[in-house]
Amino acid sequence: MRKPSIKTYRRLCQLFIIILFIAVPILNKERYSLLYGNLLAFHFWVIPFADPLAVLQLTLKNLHITFENFIGAFLPLLLAFFVGTVFCSWLCPFGFFSEMALHLRRKLLPRSTQIKAQGSDGVVTKIIIFTVGIAFFLFFSTTPVLNQMSLPAWYTRFFQYLFGQGYVSLSIFALLAVLIVEFKADKRIWCRYICPQSVLIIFAKRLNRKRLMVHFEPKKCICKNGIREHCTSACTLSLHPKTVGRVKELECTNCGDCIMACQKMGCALQFSSQRSVTTINKQDKK
Amino acid sequence: MNEDDFLSRCLQCGQCAQVCIFDCIEMQTGFNPFLAGTPQINPKVAACHLCMRCSAICPSDALHDIPIEDVRMGFAELDRKKCYQWSGFLLCRSCYERCPIKWTAMVLEKGEYPVITKACAGCGLCEHVCPADAIKITPTRFVNGTPDGGLQS
Repeated sequence: MRKPSIKTYRRLCQLFIIILFIAVPILNKERYSLLYGNLLAFHFWVIPFADPLAVLQLTLKNLHITFENFIGAFLPLLLAFFVGTVFCSWLCPFGFFSEMALHLRRKLLPRSTQIKAQGSDGVVTKIIIFTVGIAFFLFFSTTPVLNQMSLPAWYTRFFQYLFGQGYVSLSIFALLAVLIVEFKADKRIWCRYICPQSVLIIFAKRLNRKRLMVHFEPKKCICKNGIREHCTSACTLSLHPKTVGRVKELECTNCGDCIMACQKMGCALQFSSQRSVTTINKQDKK
Repeated sequence: MNEDDFLSRCLQCGQCAQVCIFDCIEMQTGFNPFLAGTPQINPKVAACHLCMRCSAICPSDALHDIPIEDVRMGFAELDRKKCYQWSGFLLCRSCYERCPIKWTAMVLEKGEYPVITKACAGCGLCEHVCPADAIKITPTRFVNGTPDGGLQS
């Protein structure tokens, strides 16, 4: 039997979260009490989880943090510290739908002639939105407004409304509108340029130089100049996987799509820690 | 804790609504970015029984654990003209029987007529059971000058 690929595992993870947060409100209604909450904050048994950005907003506003919130925000940051922003590609429900929108477009419409990899300007826009949102909350608002920009939270909240109190929330149309825009634009605008929730986990992963990341072995690469690079066209965030670890690593979410594409082409890309990448940089300098 | 403090602490995670075994806590709906997702209680539909499960589960201390005597979610007002007991229409003590803190929050004047005192927690059980719709809860956030309570609707 063929070994399941990275993508199979990733899709299973995503579908698990998608189904889990449909099931949670139903189970709570039936008084199963192991898991409560939505993707802004939930707890499983006695372990709390929280969106680091939501906790940061509350902490800055009240200058106070509860133990549960601290642990809840710390766990996702710890995950990002060791394995990068895997939340975006392996867990986030909106990330899944966004990828699906992009795949659908690439199936239905002809592929645009050249996929250009943008720089990390996406992160800059995110940080601007992040800062403006926090400043707005601190000075003008009483509720953490950036929470309303969390599309995965809106996804889970839709089912909380639906099964908890029988209310069909219109938020589903907001999600669909963003997906349609992403379908039109042929790139994942929300994930790359807007989502303020990813800023903190990007910072957390930056702290660890030896975290898990995509590692490129130039000797094994069999794609010569002029051949369409499979890894670049596989990346849904339109990054250059070969340069991850040097320049564009901020946006890479360790989804493994480029690694999958490269497995047929010489296995030049692998998950690894940064240490080996720096040695390559030294070789390049020589 | 006043309304603004409460809103600035609420994570909008909805755990309180999911843990409430009486289904009295709802998440506010709509697209108002300042309120959507925060909890509220509608006593007409289901009233709070002061079981304090929500304050135990709240991760961010927006709802905190306090003795039920200190809870001030709102204040119940009794319309004596509508009340069956006060108007002499029927013998009715539904509200008094149901009040979770009776003798303190609700006393019987002359042993017969229900009177709501300042100790009312605003849980809404009386509003929920009143057959004459004579009792109305005003949430604390709409009442000026009331003492701060721990639970807010």
